[in-house]
Amino acid sequence: MAASLTGLLKPWTPRVLLVRWSRYNPYYLEPEPRKEVYHIPETELTPEQKEERELKSVRPIKAATNSVTSSVFNDPVLSKFVNMMMKDGDKIIAKGIITQTLENMKRKQVEKYHKAPEGKKAETECNPYAIFHQALENCKPVIGLASIQKGGKFYQVPIPLTDDRRRFLAMKWMITECRDNKHRRTLMYEKLSQELLAAFSKEGNVVKRKHELHKMAESNRAYAHYRWW
Amino acid sequence: MQMQRLLLSTYFLFSPERRTANMAASGGRTVGSFLWKCGNCCFNFNTVSSNLTRQVLSRQLCVSAVLHRKNLAAAGPEKFSEEFIKKQVEEFNIGKRHLANMMGEDPETFTQGDINRSIAYLFPSGLFDKKAKPLMKHPDEDTFTKALAVEKHQDRLRGKDLFTQDAKQISLVGSRWLLKEELEELLVETISEHDYARFIQLMERLLSLPYCSVEEDFVQRYRRQLEIQSSKQQVQPLQYDQHGVAYSTGDGRRKTATGTVLLRDSGSGSISINGTNYVHYFPVLQDREQLMFPLHFMGVLGRFDMQCSVSGGGHSSQAGALRLAISRAMLSFLSEGQVETMRQAGLLTPDPRIKERKKPGQEGARRKFTWKKR
Repeated sequence: MAASLTGLLKPWTPRVLLVRWSRYNPYYLEPEPRKEVYHIPETELTPEQKEERELKSVRPIKAATNSVTSSVFNDPVLSKFVNMMMKDGDKIIAKGIITQTLENMKRKQVEKYHKAPEGKKAETECNPYAIFHQALENCKPVIGLASIQKGGKFYQVPIPLTDDRRRFLAMKWMITECRDNKHRRTLMYEKLSQELLAAFSKEGNVVKRKHELHKMAESNRAYAHYRWW
Repeated sequence: MQMQRLLLSTYFLFSPERRTANMAASGGRTVGSFLWKCGNCCFNFNTVSSNLTRQVLSRQLCVSAVLHRKNLAAAGPEKFSEEFIKKQVEEFNIGKRHLANMMGEDPETFTQGDINRSIAYLFPSGLFDKKAKPLMKHPDEDTFTKALAVEKHQDRLRGKDLFTQDAKQISLVGSRWLLKEELEELLVETISEHDYARFIQLMERLLSLPYCSVEEDFVQRYRRQLEIQSSKQQVQPLQYDQHGVAYSTGDGRRKTATGTVLLRDSGSGSISINGTNYVHYFPVLQDREQLMFPLHFMGVLGRFDMQCSVSGGGHSSQAGALRLAISRAMLSFLSEGQVETMRQAGLLTPDPRIKERKKPGQEGARRKFTWKKR
């Protein structure tokens, strides 16, 4: 009994090797690196949070990954975007591009801020992180299409998408758009900042692609009943 | 036998006829049925001894025994149904009366204590373990009544109109169900995997009742407390050097990199790695952030002076190894609660991820060879 429990705490290889497995036993819980979560006093916790805390005190916790810190600049969405942009494991270059993009966006927005008339000054968003998040939100599709075979033919059936899938599609479209449709001489960060600012104001190719997907889903409404899940 | 009792008790909680039948599991089956058969034989010997009747009875006995054996073989393993339980209870009661007769006591006022004493007298056992001695208990006792009690309590509350869905629940967070081996040890019998799974399933169903806190003791008997993980951390005591400055060491590993750190409570916040400044050693921001992570998390960024040495691996794994070493060295300066928060932030677990091995028949760990049609 005690032996089987200590067996859960060791680096682990599953008996049947699955395609997606990790060196942690499924018994381990995810870590919480943010500081402010631990400074909430006992009285303000909901019962679920209290139970979660009790559970965490008896279960082993996984180690925090390399890209995660407790600093305010650590953004999980941005980290995901950096990873998706990375080629051949070169995170230094990918992170460099993103930093340059954010700086570029900030410069453009500050220029716009100074040129704007007094009334409009407060409306111009200068925080590059806020712009990035809003642009990504504007690019996320609400509904997607799946290829379902029925009676020998393949139909494009509209299906709901999970949050993770939507975020993935928005990021993927953004990156492919910036890699393909740019002039030979434009650098990646330049093109990316242009696209993000356009998406922030709901213009640009990525948002157009999202609208096209929505139109396709609307036109294929008749096949919606082909979905069985 | 006890396993079957448990299974049955919790199973019959949910059957509609639970009130009507005086149901029970096969508790004192062994001794009770033995006594019953004994009593049967005694009864037969004491009847009017007409040859015919004796022959008939004996023939009947022979026949019935043969039939009984045949039936058993045909029907397969005994099914635990309501009739079976009723039969067990009847057997127990009859056995009790025969036992009372044998001991020369009054069958009407024969209590459980008397039964226990009679069994101890009739079947003297040299065994020490209480669970190994022969027993004769009413099948109803001490398992099914628990589940019935919950239902009765609920109905009483419903009657008084005080029934609410959110009653006090049994706290299950810091405990786990008994493992199969532990349960076998508790019940002194071997249990199959299927039985164990069924047992867990039925206990979970019992817990799904809103007022299960009435039978909290019964449930807690089959649960074990889990130990608090942070108590497993080994915290080195603080050491003091000749100038009275507190210092501590820590080491950490990640992939193939190993790092050691000497943490000094001097208040300058300088970091030197393998003799060079950390800004020169780790030109990448991410690595420097990893070094700062434990310090920033505890809010002691400028307090410590660090002398690190690291070797092996690449820049990321060296940074990870140093992060673990710094967190471990910091433990001696922190209180219990802070140690627990560091553990929950994932700073104290050594990262077990290593490079996945290359498999034969494939080019790499995952990449297969180029597929050629012919």
